[in-house]
Amino acid sequence: MESEVDGILVAAHELKAPLAVLRQLALSFDEMEPEGEKIRSEMVQVSERAIKQVNDLAKIRRLENGLFKMEPVAIREVCDEVSRELGLLFRFNNRDLYIKYSNRSRLVSANRELLYSVIYNFLLNAMHYSSEETKSELVVRESGGRVKVLIRDYGPALPIDVWKEIRRGWLKKPTSIAMRPGSSGLGLYIASKFSKYMNAEVGAIRHRDGTSFYVSLPISKQMSLF
Amino acid sequence: MIFVIDDDKIMAECVKRASKSDAKIFSDAIEAMSAISDGELPDLIFLDVLLNGPDGFTFLNELVSYDDTRKIPVVIVSALDFNGKGLDSYGVVGVLNKDTMKPEEIREYVEKYAE
Repeated sequence: MESEVDGILVAAHELKAPLAVLRQLALSFDEMEPEGEKIRSEMVQVSERAIKQVNDLAKIRRLENGLFKMEPVAIREVCDEVSRELGLLFRFNNRDLYIKYSNRSRLVSANRELLYSVIYNFLLNAMHYSSEETKSELVVRESGGRVKVLIRDYGPALPIDVWKEIRRGWLKKPTSIAMRPGSSGLGLYIASKFSKYMNAEVGAIRHRDGTSFYVSLPISKQMSLF
Repeated sequence: MIFVIDDDKIMAECVKRASKSDAKIFSDAIEAMSAISDGELPDLIFLDVLLNGPDGFTFLNELVSYDDTRKIPVVIVSALDFNGKGLDSYGVVGVLNKDTMKPEEIREYVEKYAE
């Protein structure tokens, strides 16, 4: 286990340096034609996403040391922030994002940084599998003392064996969930690791026309001020 | 004159380009210190922390130990997650994170300290 985690850490550091360089190169372009400007923005966005993913991988090592404090977190605020950040990317790729809050504003017991990454990874995954004709949906709802964040895409259906694996428990490594074209499953692996740390439930719902991934967290006992 | 000290040549070139100056690039701290010893005193230094050979902190220690170099403003440029607190006595005037920095931020330091 230790060597696996160290391997991830090494990979993270190895990947990070060229990504940061790629971003700087993109930002260095001074004179760009209109099409060049689009490419430049794409380079910046791709590298920023990759840097975030690599940082998430590095955080997995820190999970073992219990360095992420659990606290009351305003879940809508986190969803708003993630959707604002990725909203630009959705628009840039001509994708629609539909957001629906069907609960009261609630504080959940979580770590804000990790929860942000979980929702970010699910939404990014949804965008990847949506098209110009289909939208992605982020729905927050409350049930039985928990708040569930569902992120729905209209991409290829999740293979049943993979769905069973997710239902059985936590994902052990990214390669075991490479189930849909163009996906390494890394985002779901990260989301799974972070959710486990927060004692959250993470899972997937199969639809005939896509998949919903969700994370469910207990409502914090602390009174909500939002 | 501006010094850029970074063992990643492409990153160093990016910093130089963003500075819009005729900055001198050094791939390690020894090379930069040797240029200073030969009489080249920069107005501003962009310094990476994790370098081949002596690291950025060793370079900072060396810098503050001489009267003619201890007041040279230094901007740390690093992928490490730290805020540079407590480094102002080493002449550190700012910290730029390689993951998030923008050319205009580099340019701001140049305008403030080297023009």
